[in-house]
Amino acid sequence: MTELIQTIAFGLLIGGVYALLASGLTLIFGVMNVINIAHGAFLILAAFLTFSLWSGFGLDPLAAIVITTPAMLGFGWLVYVFTVRPIRRAPPSSSVLLTFGIALVLEAAMGLIWGNESHAARPPYFTQSFHVSSIILPKAQVFACGLAVVVLACLWWFLARTWTGRAIRAAAVNPQGAELVGIDIVRVSALTFAIGVATVGAGGSLVSVLYPFLPGSHYIWIARVLGIIVLGGMGSLRGALIGALLLGLAETFTQTYVSAQWATAVPYAIIFVALLVRPQGIMGTRLREDVAT
Amino acid sequence: MRRFIGQRPTARVWLSVALVTIVGGVAVGCGGGDSGGDSNEPIKIGISLPLTGDFSQPGTAAKQGYQVWADTVNGQGGLLGRKVELDIKDDASDQNTVVTDYNALISRDQVDLLLGTFSSLLNLPASAVAERNQMLYVEPAGGAPEMFDRGFQYLFFAQQATADHQGDLFVDYILGLPKNIRPKTAAYPSIDDPFAIPVIDSIREKFEAAGIKTVYKDIYPVSTSNFDSIANAVKSADPDLIAHGAVFDDGVGFIRALSKVGFQARYFFETSAPSGAAQFSNAVGIDNTEAIFYAVSHTPEAHTPGNQEFVAAFKKKFGGLPAEDAADAFATGQVLQKAVEEVGSIDDQAALADYLRNNEVDTILGPLEWDDNGAPQGQFLIGQWQNGKAEVILPKDAATTDHIINRRPGSK
Repeated sequence: MTELIQTIAFGLLIGGVYALLASGLTLIFGVMNVINIAHGAFLILAAFLTFSLWSGFGLDPLAAIVITTPAMLGFGWLVYVFTVRPIRRAPPSSSVLLTFGIALVLEAAMGLIWGNESHAARPPYFTQSFHVSSIILPKAQVFACGLAVVVLACLWWFLARTWTGRAIRAAAVNPQGAELVGIDIVRVSALTFAIGVATVGAGGSLVSVLYPFLPGSHYIWIARVLGIIVLGGMGSLRGALIGALLLGLAETFTQTYVSAQWATAVPYAIIFVALLVRPQGIMGTRLREDVAT
Repeated sequence: MRRFIGQRPTARVWLSVALVTIVGGVAVGCGGGDSGGDSNEPIKIGISLPLTGDFSQPGTAAKQGYQVWADTVNGQGGLLGRKVELDIKDDASDQNTVVTDYNALISRDQVDLLLGTFSSLLNLPASAVAERNQMLYVEPAGGAPEMFDRGFQYLFFAQQATADHQGDLFVDYILGLPKNIRPKTAAYPSIDDPFAIPVIDSIREKFEAAGIKTVYKDIYPVSTSNFDSIANAVKSADPDLIAHGAVFDDGVGFIRALSKVGFQARYFFETSAPSGAAQFSNAVGIDNTEAIFYAVSHTPEAHTPGNQEFVAAFKKKFGGLPAEDAADAFATGQVLQKAVEEVGSIDDQAALADYLRNNEVDTILGPLEWDDNGAPQGQFLIGQWQNGKAEVILPKDAATTDHIINRRPGSK
């Protein structure tokens, strides 16, 4: 029984962090129809920024979120203005190629700045754990998951309770209708892209404590978060949360009860089966054009 | 002017075009001949390395080692009196790209010689390209036994032993311990990597034969980043000894996860990652390095021929001590250099391979010699982290300390 609860605890803790990492990607897709392959590279960039703040100024990596989030917001805005905006009317496949190119450029730039070496932030709690009875809750995971919940709650509040957030949701649901009521779709898209990148600003700070990383680590992360948002339903924030928790649980259950060897394959097999049953994802909406094709 | 539009070119125009083409072609041909055959031209050496992607850390270290070797050779007047020029490509840690790279180096860049890439995963396909083109292929980091099962004639591994012999001295040491501190149980987690798995399998087979019970054994995919559940499963198995097959990030992640779940085995052996010098201790934290065993091919303190010069040159060029992968790349260059100098030519690559098959070569790793398949016939060193410093503990004649720690802090 202890092993079961421990496995669930590990799965939920890691799933919470996955949810934060996937939220920005699904937001950008939902509003802009852009599949941002550079999402993983933005994440690793934020992890490197956090590492520099920690190693250079002694700033706690999790506290660094207050710097990395606005920094990545600004960076996301610039990337949108100079690269994504010019192709905003092109088909989604163009955005895949463009953002993959951005990811490669960022990987090379990070290699030049920080070197192609493994980095990992080591705050005092990085190997410590809370003990609840015989259950182990690693402090870094607990703090990271807690922060992910806070950031996700702020994102939900912003989207649900502010006029700008409502404009973003309106643009996601019906871009033409939103334009008719006076919403500037281009500005909303820029803001959405910047917010999506800002969420990985926070996510990168968390990753810098949880895992070693190097410039090439973005491939692993983009594969994982893409799987999550496909499972949850492309464009659905709630779906990303559910997909992330399911993937986190699937990984830890496979490692504990099947074999670590299957820890990558089993979660993706689950995604495959889930999509056979529900092609639009768990929380995705099936549109008329989807049914027609 | 207008009357020429739409008219077919005359015979005179065609003749002019043909003449220009022929004259131009002859000129280009002559130029090409000059550059290829001039003995004052640099010797071009083609290399593909994983400078980005999963293996970028060791790949970058290997590049540094090759660069220091090239600088050293050029500083001594070059190879056969010609400067050495490295043509290094990035294979992004990808098996398909490494094949494309070596094909391009041979057929498009027309390099004179090749040097190998990093990891068995990449050297397996890359060495096949070299073999097909009958070019000598000395590689610094591809010790999986399957590398040498193919009967290749041009492949040579420039370390002391293949992967399945990496842990031999460690096994001998553990089995030679007094009964009261000898481990009774062991766990064997490993990354799915053609180099790491044979090391761990070989250690496990020898321990099982000696009566040490296996209580955990599993292989995880290369993409694994979360090790908490694996560490917890190892903790549940409660082994006296852990032998972990790792590359780098996974080695760091697993050690951190063991600390998080609050478990330390009395003996801990890990492949590759602990030989990463300061990069390893920075990633896991100095306190977490204590008493970790690892197999290693090189130590900066060794008094092998040229080692102190290599360490000094590396420090001057890149700062800090060289990682093992940098030293292995330097030694690989030394092996190639020796073969070329002894044969006295780079034209007959089969002669270069024959030389290596029949002779011992002194390197900064010590003397290296190979069997008919290019597999090295020596023994690895065994290192241990002690008080934040990587020491060589075995064999005795190469040891930097006679002290060996027999209990990892925090273990029972």
